[in-house]
Amino acid sequence: MIPLLEAWKKSRDILGMNARNLDYLRPYNKKRAKRFADDKIACKRLLAKNELPVPLLIARIKTLDDLENFDWSKLPESFALKPNHGFGGEGILVVYGKKKNEEHTWIKADGSLIRVEDLKTHIRNILDGSFSLANMPDSAFFEERLKLLKLFKPYSWKGIPDIRVIVFNRVPVMAMLRLPTKESGGKANLQHGALGLGIDMANGTTTSAVQGFGGFARSIDCVPGTRLVLSGIRIPFWKEILRLAVEAQNISGLGYLGADIAIDRDRGPVFLELNARPGLSIQLANLDGLKGRLTRVSGLKVKTAEKGVRMGMDLFGGEIEEEIEEISGKKIIGTVEKVKLIGKNGKEIEVEAKIDTGADSTSIDTELARELGFGEVMNFFETIPKPENTENRSTLSALSAEYDQKYKHAHPDLSGVVFVYAPNGFTMRPKILISFFLHGAEVSSRVSIIERSRMQYPIIIGRRDLKKFLIDSNK
Amino acid sequence: MTLHPLFLNFVAQGVPIDTIRYILMFPLIVTLVAFFRQVVGIKAFGIYTPSIVTFAFLAFDPGGLKYGVAIFVSIILVGMLSRLLLRRLRILYLPRVAISLTIVALAILAILVAGGSLHRTGLASVSIFPLLIMITLVEKFVATQIEKGDKVALMLAGETLFISLVGYFLARSSTIAEYLLAFPWIVLLTIPVNIFLGRWRGLRLSELLRFSKLLK
Repeated sequence: MIPLLEAWKKSRDILGMNARNLDYLRPYNKKRAKRFADDKIACKRLLAKNELPVPLLIARIKTLDDLENFDWSKLPESFALKPNHGFGGEGILVVYGKKKNEEHTWIKADGSLIRVEDLKTHIRNILDGSFSLANMPDSAFFEERLKLLKLFKPYSWKGIPDIRVIVFNRVPVMAMLRLPTKESGGKANLQHGALGLGIDMANGTTTSAVQGFGGFARSIDCVPGTRLVLSGIRIPFWKEILRLAVEAQNISGLGYLGADIAIDRDRGPVFLELNARPGLSIQLANLDGLKGRLTRVSGLKVKTAEKGVRMGMDLFGGEIEEEIEEISGKKIIGTVEKVKLIGKNGKEIEVEAKIDTGADSTSIDTELARELGFGEVMNFFETIPKPENTENRSTLSALSAEYDQKYKHAHPDLSGVVFVYAPNGFTMRPKILISFFLHGAEVSSRVSIIERSRMQYPIIIGRRDLKKFLIDSNK
Repeated sequence: MTLHPLFLNFVAQGVPIDTIRYILMFPLIVTLVAFFRQVVGIKAFGIYTPSIVTFAFLAFDPGGLKYGVAIFVSIILVGMLSRLLLRRLRILYLPRVAISLTIVALAILAILVAGGSLHRTGLASVSIFPLLIMITLVEKFVATQIEKGDKVALMLAGETLFISLVGYFLARSSTIAEYLLAFPWIVLLTIPVNIFLGRWRGLRLSELLRFSKLLK
């Protein structure tokens, strides 16, 4: 009987349909706010008015007359066509490019062609209410197609992944990254077979994952058909995403909100839509009950969005990691981390850095160094003559020492010269003093400058600058 | 069988006893549907379809339940088939459903003719009313297919069949019927029962299954 009792205790933390409707949707999502969330264009306008990022509206078609008089040349190369009152991702049509040499013909995700006639039929269906709740007549709109983030490319099939954040009482309580799959036909909806990845609220790293089928979901470790592990994906702009979700709650008046936010390659986090009746599968993706979390934040007085975000991050994630950080006194970082470099005259640039314990010291890309204000010292460095004979490592280090001595103070920004082995002999690199912020800690470093434009990351951070950190290769 | 005095009067006026019986049964059936939704988690096609199909089954009596189920299943199958046929034809919603309904009506006609030639008199003597009810099932089914896909539509159809069958056996129970005819006011008890169901916050049985991973 004990396991049964345990199960019963745990079941009290799970949010079911009955409790969601009675205790959260009814009292907190008023009719007006709900109607608003269901009207995608109105929702978009309001968010945009409050300076929250939304996909750009290209055109709206309200009636059959609008459709007949529509100027098809107005449409860009790629766009998304959506029903205004659609739900569950139904009726959305995305085109990726225009077919060359053929007028008004576009290409869909699967490579098939779509012509004006097809678009018209689809829009007529939308206007007729085929995709709206209760088949009410609807309107259609074209909007900008969001571009896929490089980070998500290997994980998603055709469509754009999005992040669902549940916000209650101004606190983001649970989140899930949804990845479109082949089964879901590029849609990011779990009931169509998309993947749902639970997220550690503290740092935006994915934890467990499920794949939806029908109303159910099964656990999964890798992207279907590959060996790509789904846990440990670090979602960029995490804090920003949570803040946006909380702001959207303030604006929309939805007390129990499911905010869907995608990340555009160029624009960063962008709202896809607000959901007034968010589903319950998010609990499966996170292997945790919502009711327990909602109970913990109800009644709290949360004054600002920032405060709410901090509470969500503190309450619902990162516990283990924090413990390790506390014991070791070191911060845990992943193999790729954001760093903020402080250049000359206080200029700050944020880039992604590769954490490389195989390298002794840190090096940055020439272009980045110039942007940071070190162009002058690099120009000066060019004038230093290169030595010719270099046969083995001892001469290299001797050379390094010699040049270091000679040119250390030749220019106020030059802090040394180093010789490094390269496939075709060696390279001579300038060293400069620079400080950067990594995971909130300031590091002062002597970095060498080298052309890295063909590498993925403009900076690698070596051992010498990693003394304050522990590296988790899963992160 | 003791009748409530009220009904003695009704019967004297020529109201058939079965009509009274089924009208009194109706609150019970709809409460049953509500119970299945809120506590068990079986959705079916809303509340109207399973209850009306229950009465369609009753109308096949006596001994016609098997025909009722057979017609239910064939309607769903033909509905699916018609969707397959109409998929290539890109037309709007209502005309599409109209074509589906036409195909289903013709299919039922075919079943009746086949039943007649096989001397299945039970099938041939079925009144038009239950048949029409069953045909309207197609609209629900096709709408769900379009909105939520074949799988969900099939599942909901199965759930509807299940609830209707349970309802059928409940409505057929002569014990319950006798109580209702003798003490008709007990149907009012369904109101507090529904208030309780409407405030039931617990997990549905289906949700216990769905979230079983979180219970370990």
